[in-house]
Amino acid sequence: MALTVSHVVGGYSQIPVLKDISFDVRDGELVGLIGLNGAGKSTTINHIIGLLTPHKGEITINGVTIAQDSQAYKQQIAYIPETPVLYQELTLREHLEMTMMAYDLDQEKAWVTAHELLKTFRLDNKLDWFPANFSKGMKQKVMIVCAFLTQAKLFIIDEPFLGLDPLAVNDLLNLIEQRKQRGASILMSTHVLDTAQRYCDRFVLLHSGQVETEGTLSELQAALPEAGESLNDIYLSMTKVDRA
Amino acid sequence: MIGLFQQRRQRHLREMAKYLRLVFNDFFVFALLFFLGGLGLGYSNVLKQLTTGLWWAPLVALVVLAITAQVGRFATLIEDADRVFLLPKERAMHDYFVVARRYSQWLAQATQLILLFILTPFLRVTLDWSLAQVAGLVVTQVLLKDTLLRLDLASAYQVTGQRRMNHWTVKWGVSLIILAVALWLTPYVAIGLSLVADIAVIVWFQQHWEHQQIRWREQIAIEDNRMLGIYRFFNLFTDVPMVKGTIRRRRYLDGLLRRIPVRHDKTYLYLYSRGMLRGTEFSGLVVRLTVIGMLLLAFIQGQWLPVVLTALFIYLIGFQLLPFFQQYDDIVFTHVYPLTWDQRLGSFVTLVTGILTTTAILLWLVVVAVNHNLVTAGITLVVAAVEVGYLARIYTPQRLKRAAKNKG
Repeated sequence: MALTVSHVVGGYSQIPVLKDISFDVRDGELVGLIGLNGAGKSTTINHIIGLLTPHKGEITINGVTIAQDSQAYKQQIAYIPETPVLYQELTLREHLEMTMMAYDLDQEKAWVTAHELLKTFRLDNKLDWFPANFSKGMKQKVMIVCAFLTQAKLFIIDEPFLGLDPLAVNDLLNLIEQRKQRGASILMSTHVLDTAQRYCDRFVLLHSGQVETEGTLSELQAALPEAGESLNDIYLSMTKVDRA
Repeated sequence: MIGLFQQRRQRHLREMAKYLRLVFNDFFVFALLFFLGGLGLGYSNVLKQLTTGLWWAPLVALVVLAITAQVGRFATLIEDADRVFLLPKERAMHDYFVVARRYSQWLAQATQLILLFILTPFLRVTLDWSLAQVAGLVVTQVLLKDTLLRLDLASAYQVTGQRRMNHWTVKWGVSLIILAVALWLTPYVAIGLSLVADIAVIVWFQQHWEHQQIRWREQIAIEDNRMLGIYRFFNLFTDVPMVKGTIRRRRYLDGLLRRIPVRHDKTYLYLYSRGMLRGTEFSGLVVRLTVIGMLLLAFIQGQWLPVVLTALFIYLIGFQLLPFFQQYDDIVFTHVYPLTWDQRLGSFVTLVTGILTTTAILLWLVVVAVNHNLVTAGITLVVAAVEVGYLARIYTPQRLKRAAKNKG
């Protein structure tokens, strides 16, 4: 079990945003974290990457909690934030080197991977530029390259498809597939439901801080037979309950 | 629209008042009075040595007046969001800009008048001018500034193609011609000239603005730049959140930075050193304080005073560096990377040690060069070494640990 979130209650202040959330991500699995704006997707992610501490409950990655060994815990995660976050003073090359240093990667091997990734995302001629001045989509690509440079066991990807060109979306999905085959797990939050439906192995549907349902597409269809065939329909029917 | 400007002006003035109170604290006012007194004394001494008919006198006046004429920018107080929210009100923005220009006049014209007041004795002595002639020059200068601000106003609109009405060549050209006429011919002709220029711009603008679009992006950039200049000034005295500092590539420092090994435990040193050298905020502070310290020490001799001053400057710099530790706190990767807080602290201590050692050596070299005194040089060296060690290796970690603990 790569990631286990069990009975997590938490949020930014004393008022909990997440109300007893439990789900897991298995080895080699791509799980989609689906929910409306404000459903608690980012809060869940912030708890997993260790920015927030749960009020109750526990999060483990391959059996390690952050309290037991924060370095071993963090070593296993690679994170791609929703909005690209970059160091203003570092060039693209230095961002990559910084990632290699932080994750204690073998320089030579890491650079081989890095050059492949840079080529894929057409950034290979921009190594000495400041990515802080790049466009939103290119910044997002830098984030992807940095994350996939690591040999992380768990990738946390927050809404990756917005701002990326179709080619890059395709390349990203290929990368995810490749890492899955090597046994890595991916938790991805997104609103782009038709892509999610095609690529995710399982779904966790969040609604107002709770896990509404989870499972594979066919499990979801079985659980909500009147909702419709596609993830989109299921998702909409789930939110309608609240609106009625 | 006029209401909008008034509202913004009020908010702007309140903000400026807040910062000015901080700038003009007791110490600064005291220092300023001394400085102005000294300057006044020096000026009056220079005036006594001047005679009528010096060939370079009008040239000096010309340069001073032309520079002064450029002081006082067009303050529009427009904001980035305006190009979205006020776009449908584009025609109505004209009234806004007109009021904004009127508001800009106050500070701009006050500057002109103060400078002319200071220059009056110089003109009377060197050019043997009557008060009427000086008055003529005052009118010329005020009209000239009015014209320049009108050019700025006109440039808020997309004037045919890429040409700008307030291009520096235009502004300087107009200023130099009119002022040269005033200084070498007679100020009375210059009044006429500046009046003609002013009216020409008025008429031209009246005929054209309605057929032009506002250059939103440029105007916003200009206004941001203007405000940044003001905030930078305030930032010398107090913390201004709007000043983020800029980033320079500084390729020539790459050789130095490359000396940090690319290794897991040096990750933060890698980041901090690049951030320090390429950002202008903290490195600027260190350089400014070091240079001021060196200049001060260059004029000071004695047994103990250089020692005290050296110690004081090292302390000031070391103290100011502390907030740099938190520079990357709002970047999520600082928390996500598998690195420990202790590694980060260790790197920061190394950085502070490096900076303070460099500063201490520079200050010490000045002390040695000025004093030619082995005892003073020796004492300064020992005191500086002990202080750097204490500040960087004991005080800094203690403070940061306590701050981290309080934060929880």
